[in-house]
Amino acid sequence: MNHISLTINKKMYSIDVEEDVRLIDLLRDQLFLTGTKEGCGEGECGACTVIMDGRVVNSCLVMAFQAEGSNITTIEGMSDKDELHPIQKAFLDKGAVQCGFCTPGMVLSAKSLLDKNENPTREEIREGISGNLCRCTGYNKIVDAIELASKEIREEKKE
Amino acid sequence: MKKRGKGIAATFYGTGYGNGFPDVSKAVAEVDHDGNVNIYVCATEVGQGAKTIIIQMVAEILGLGMNDIHLISEDTSQTLDTGTAAASRQTYNTGNAVKKAVEVLKSKLLEKAKEHLKLPSLLGLEVKDKVIYLKTFPKKRVCFKDLIEEKISVEETFTAQTVQMDEETGQGAPYWPYTFSCYGVEVEVDTETGIIEVIKGVCAQDVGRAINPELIEGQIDGGFSMGLGYGIMEKLNCKDGEIKNNKFSKYLIPTALDMPELEKIIVEDPESSAPFGAKGIGEPVILPAAPAILNAIYDAIGVRFYEIPVTPDKVLSEINREI
Ligand code: FES
Ligand code: FES
Repeated sequence: MNHISLTINKKMYSIDVEEDVRLIDLLRDQLFLTGTKEGCGEGECGACTVIMDGRVVNSCLVMAFQAEGSNITTIEGMSDKDELHPIQKAFLDKGAVQCGFCTPGMVLSAKSLLDKNENPTREEIREGISGNLCRCTGYNKIVDAIELASKEIREEKKE
Repeated sequence: MKKRGKGIAATFYGTGYGNGFPDVSKAVAEVDHDGNVNIYVCATEVGQGAKTIIIQMVAEILGLGMNDIHLISEDTSQTLDTGTAAASRQTYNTGNAVKKAVEVLKSKLLEKAKEHLKLPSLLGLEVKDKVIYLKTFPKKRVCFKDLIEEKISVEETFTAQTVQMDEETGQGAPYWPYTFSCYGVEVEVDTETGIIEVIKGVCAQDVGRAINPELIEGQIDGGFSMGLGYGIMEKLNCKDGEIKNNKFSKYLIPTALDMPELEKIIVEDPESSAPFGAKGIGEPVILPAAPAILNAIYDAIGVRFYEIPVTPDKVLSEINREI
């Protein structure tokens, strides 16, 4: 058993975790943050994507004890209370969600991309989400949505 | 060397279970004593948009906003059987069942309103936002809530037409309706690595009638990507009945970098037996992608492939054999 402290979605946690518990298990099973999805459990699909200290990680490949002291954003931390994040809004507006299983991971990869590159080209967007598999949408409307979000975020900043 | 080629493919797809197999959808439409409109179906939503278009159809018939309709779906303790969300059949089959039920419900409401308003005829009675009124004298009006003491519930069934094919001759009419698709693609084949890149696609899809164009576009994108994977990437690799490529590290599906931008053309030609003329496109949108890609590969390097997926190793061995 390890005792770890970490910040998730701006909230501090101090919690006991077993050695063999992965970050995704901690999030889903111990903290009930079930927005993070498990697709493959082996780092191939990106459904479990979260942002850890500013970088996207596959939470199925990170052990919970490795998250000690880290700062994590999950899909539950994207919206500001009831106000959706511009990326989430754009996903809705562009019809970028079908079954929704890849969506939390896609939104977080998009956030991480736009945090680093405010105005990406469509090709850069494709690259930014290339670690996230989607079986439903063929990605094009997701690319549209991230393009729209990037525009909205830049405009918001101007105001 | 990189070589480019273009290819097209046209396909048709039969909706529903077909071949004489009973294909039945049941729907219940009701207005309760508070004037709420409830629709009960069991059209499983897997992201294709079944729930959205069913609500759209109800809204259209009853003159309601989409938020005024309460859809109860996928709960087998409350709903009847609408068959599987498979065979691209929910828009057509369940759409038809819902349309029938809601139309009967509407005529019952109008009949009641006629009595309530003491009118001699149904002529000119309209329904909008849960109010029934006379078009020529809108003061003659009554809202659902005041009209209904006990809930009115209508159950309707739609059964598709299908003829089993003759086992000897192979003749018959297994499906109704059919849905047509035609895709054109451009590919670039790297003759050194054997890697095929699909760089452009134009997709013309017959939909009967587009109930929700945005959902249709999303289905085309998704279907194209599945067809692309089917054509050049996805290999189960079955050995002695065992799937060897049983994880994403071995069974490759397209990523955002593998998908081209698509130009989508929605072809509307209403189907007479379909609800508002609309047909399902879930599977039809997958079909032309792989054959169009294989035709484009032929155009690029002059090699005909008869087996999919056309993976880089196959491309290379064919190119080397040619030399
Ligand atoms: S579940 Fe972590 S990458 Fe698939
Ligand atoms: S929306 Fe279904 S996997 Fe992406």
